Amino acid sequence: MYDEIVIVTGNRPLSGSHLLLSVESPRQAQATRPGQFAMLRILGRSDVLLRRPMSIYDLKAKNSEGENDRKPGSPRILQFLYKVVGHGTRLMSELKPGDQVGLLGPLGHGFFEEEYLPRAHQANEILHVAGGIGIAALLLPAKRLAEAGFHQRLFFGGRSKADLVGVEDFRPLVRGILMATENGSAGYRGFVTRPLEEYLARHTNKKYLLMVCGPWAMLRASVELARKYGHPCLVSMENRMGCGLGVCLGCCIRVQGTGHEAYQRVCTEGPVFWSEKVIWEDEAIAKT
Amino acid sequence: MSAKTKTRTHGLRASQGPPASRQSPPDDGHASTGEQFIPQIETEIAGVRFQNPVWTASGTFGYGKEFSSLIDLNELGAIVVKGISPEPMEGNPPPRIYETESGMLNAIGLQNVGARRFLTEKLPFLRTLRARCIVNVFAYSTEDYVRCLEMLNEGEGIAAYELNISCPNTRCGGMVYGSDPKLTEEVVAASKKVARYPLFVKLSPNVTDITVFARAAESAGADALSLVNTFVGMAIDIETRRPRLWNVTGGLSGPSIKPVALRMVYQAARAVKIPIVGLGGISTTEDALEYFIAGARAVQVGTANFYDPGTSVRLVQGLRDYCQRKRLHLSEIIGSLKIPERATPIGTEG
Repeated sequence: MYDEIVIVTGNRPLSGSHLLLSVESPRQAQATRPGQFAMLRILGRSDVLLRRPMSIYDLKAKNSEGENDRKPGSPRILQFLYKVVGHGTRLMSELKPGDQVGLLGPLGHGFFEEEYLPRAHQANEILHVAGGIGIAALLLPAKRLAEAGFHQRLFFGGRSKADLVGVEDFRPLVRGILMATENGSAGYRGFVTRPLEEYLARHTNKKYLLMVCGPWAMLRASVELARKYGHPCLVSMENRMGCGLGVCLGCCIRVQGTGHEAYQRVCTEGPVFWSEKVIWEDEAIAKT
Repeated sequence: MSAKTKTRTHGLRASQGPPASRQSPPDDGHASTGEQFIPQIETEIAGVRFQNPVWTASGTFGYGKEFSSLIDLNELGAIVVKGISPEPMEGNPPPRIYETESGMLNAIGLQNVGARRFLTEKLPFLRTLRARCIVNVFAYSTEDYVRCLEMLNEGEGIAAYELNISCPNTRCGGMVYGSDPKLTEEVVAASKKVARYPLFVKLSPNVTDITVFARAAESAGADALSLVNTFVGMAIDIETRRPRLWNVTGGLSGPSIKPVALRMVYQAARAVKIPIVGLGGISTTEDALEYFIAGARAVQVGTANFYDPGTSVRLVQGLRDYCQRKRLHLSEIIGSLKIPERATPIGTEG
């Protein structure tokens, strides 16, 4: 974990209020493990006090000018795929190349291979299930798994076609992509969990590992499907965060456990949890 | 009100001359060549010496170790650890925090590991630091405050206790103590009787007159006061028409509370003789200096630790730089607020 002031190298608008922010920090890029995040600080403002947690979407070796790195394999750039949803993200969307931002990261217990690789080896296929901007947490894990030769498939749902950003980044990594939009502007019309269930029901003889990230309701529905069809499932959670370091205890979610173990921090024990660990009846989170 | 210009250096006798290290003449813009002024920023509170007066506030710095890879913990004057209760506590359901304009609301619910686990798991590391360890303590009944202190008394290397009588998030105990002078006296007196280490009392700002509570704590035996804790506040989601916090209300902290917290420190420092530790919205050296000038012997950095972990250490250096520039020692700054002579008394507003 490092606390640095870094330079923005790009902030590219995509469809549907999404942008791809690139910042340069060789130290943090090289320390990043899949599923981790960073806390981004807009400098010099008093209207936004707290940092914003951003999934580390991708890592790049070169900067946006295409300048070659002496060691082409070692990453220097961190990329954040995000959607403008409030004041903090709106300020982020105004960042330009050359601007400075505060970057604290990499943070969190991501999709750490030691913990899911045994399950991944038992699976015929790894199913990534993304809801909207939840896709941002899944690209690095998918890249790592593809390098290791695992078969993967993406189920990607959103409100409309404009929300399905990042699809092209996944294409080389997976055997198939199934898209779903609530308004039918792309792929299946409806929630992505419907085609996901059809797929699971069609292949009851297969073993899968699900990796899910998206809005609460979608997470909950996907976890229920995983349980129904008997597949292990990892979820990447989100919550409002105060520090991202594990000291404020603001981002805790209710998990299996009692007393001091009843809550775990999304920023430290998470953001990735085995789905059985999380207590899903906690409606309070659904409102965040 | 006295017509005298108020330049009280809190806690120091006027007969105490300038420390020996100040060899050069007062600042007139022409320092003697070759003589360096080394500002003293050590502070002493209730017999405990601190290498500097910049501490970190309870609930904002965990148990210290979490920050060890980001800053040099040995640069701090003290670390006040997260509030400890006799038994572990789970805390509130989410949502526990919400950002506000220049601040934040929190309703964490005092989640902590409990006294036993603190002693075995957290204190050993804290003892290794040059930063002193102050343990924030809370409970829901006077008997439990006493019980918690008795458990913590078994720990070695604790510099002081900070009695939390002012947490606004729980439904019983904390809030009640901090807003009733008699209960304040009761819990402070009972705690002082059993406390092995000096007892600092952290006051709640959710009161009409902070001086009443400062005096109540002092008369009951408090060795020092920290003020202030968070202000009770709330926020509402207009789309769902629900509170933003599960607990409905929470504690407001951050830069937005500084003017009010500072005013309370100023008032309390005039009302009691025991030392004051100031906190509330401190994020820059300038903020900290305002508190020293108002009468605080030490300050705590709280919410700023969340968004700028380097704040506390930066303030230590900032304080040194200010003292160097002014050719003053910390002791000469504390309580040095100058209020010019006025024909009419100063009111409480405007």
